[in-house]
Amino acid sequence: MNKILGINCSPKVETAVSELIDGKGHIEYERFHDGIVLDGYHMIILEIGRKQEQVIQQIRKLRYASNFQNIPIVLIHGQKKDFSSQPYMIAGATEILSLHDPSAACRQILNGHLIPGREPLEEEFDYLNPFIKNTCHILQTMASVDVEFKEVYFSNTIRIFGDVSGIMGLTGNAEGTLVVTFFWDLAKFIVAKMMGMEEEHVDAELIHDGVSEFINMISGSTKREFVGKPYHFEISLPSVVVGPGHQIGHFQDTSVAVLIFQVKNQCFALHICINPKANHANIRLSAG
Amino acid sequence: MKLLVADDSRLIRGIIDKSVTSMGFEAIQVENGKDAWNLLNTKGEDINMVLLDWNMPFLNGIDVLRNMRSDDRFNHIPVLMISTESEDDRIREALTIGAQGYLPKPFTSEKLIGAIHTVLDQAKNK
Repeated sequence: MNKILGINCSPKVETAVSELIDGKGHIEYERFHDGIVLDGYHMIILEIGRKQEQVIQQIRKLRYASNFQNIPIVLIHGQKKDFSSQPYMIAGATEILSLHDPSAACRQILNGHLIPGREPLEEEFDYLNPFIKNTCHILQTMASVDVEFKEVYFSNTIRIFGDVSGIMGLTGNAEGTLVVTFFWDLAKFIVAKMMGMEEEHVDAELIHDGVSEFINMISGSTKREFVGKPYHFEISLPSVVVGPGHQIGHFQDTSVAVLIFQVKNQCFALHICINPKANHANIRLSAG
Repeated sequence: MKLLVADDSRLIRGIIDKSVTSMGFEAIQVENGKDAWNLLNTKGEDINMVLLDWNMPFLNGIDVLRNMRSDDRFNHIPVLMISTESEDDRIREALTIGAQGYLPKPFTSEKLIGAIHTVLDQAKNK
């Protein structure tokens, strides 16, 4: 049963949501508060209040609380027209619905967002496992921190929200992108551990540098394991994106594996978008 | 003993610096291959060993190594490559060009210190 959390919903919106969900999920309601826990929820429905900046802050906090889980955040408002959705989408909203939209369309949209991201096929672990193993190994070796691999899901429409991301373009036999995304506090903690210094002495430049080196090491150590295989790739110099609440997207209709790791009580995400070139894929299939 | 450390990552340079300092050596840091090559050309006689990353902007570590091995002024200076590029053919390439050692990232401080000692011992016994 899907678990849905309605936040700041008025009785009018509660009634509308109940009709739209129509037994396809269990809905709980609460007021927004800092420290909100989203574990186990499959969708968030947030009614848009009058203060735009406040709602944007709430969306950002919900994105942090979602810990890289692909939880759709659906906003509902009661305005008929002249509604600018862009600031909310940039902050992390997945969809914006109006109470005046046709209910059949709204129902279809909500149901669409309740379809879970697919889990990996057994053979896909052939290329996922080296990334999982090496990501844990790098952090244990360089930072002496214990890392737990939590889960993996695939998505064609993923937008990952974070504070700092390291990006590596892959070329060669297999092409694609590797991205690691952190929230600031965990990135700072890991860099401090790597450098053997107090967190208060870790500056933004060092975090930028550490995340860059981290994706570099994940890519470099993993490509070694793909020698002679369809997934073997070449790397170049990594890039880093910094900015609170930035989002990383991928090509539309490209399947991205999102791996979630946990250090202490915080998570980070590694997104893997890798496509072996056709001739290699054929070799793999014929050999299989 | 002065070691030239060329890595575009400030974090890695910092980690290497700590280990090198703990050995009682001095680390001179540069952030790309071009600066490493320039420094060798101006202060090369003071450098006892070079630690080179492979992928760096402006000039790759492997190109710095090539330059060093084709220049009589620096041909004798031992080189340890430190890189995420850890496939066998990459390691072979670096050793064939003239690196004395190859340390894949990630590494522990103990491994780094061990690799530096091994390269220096090799150079001494040559």
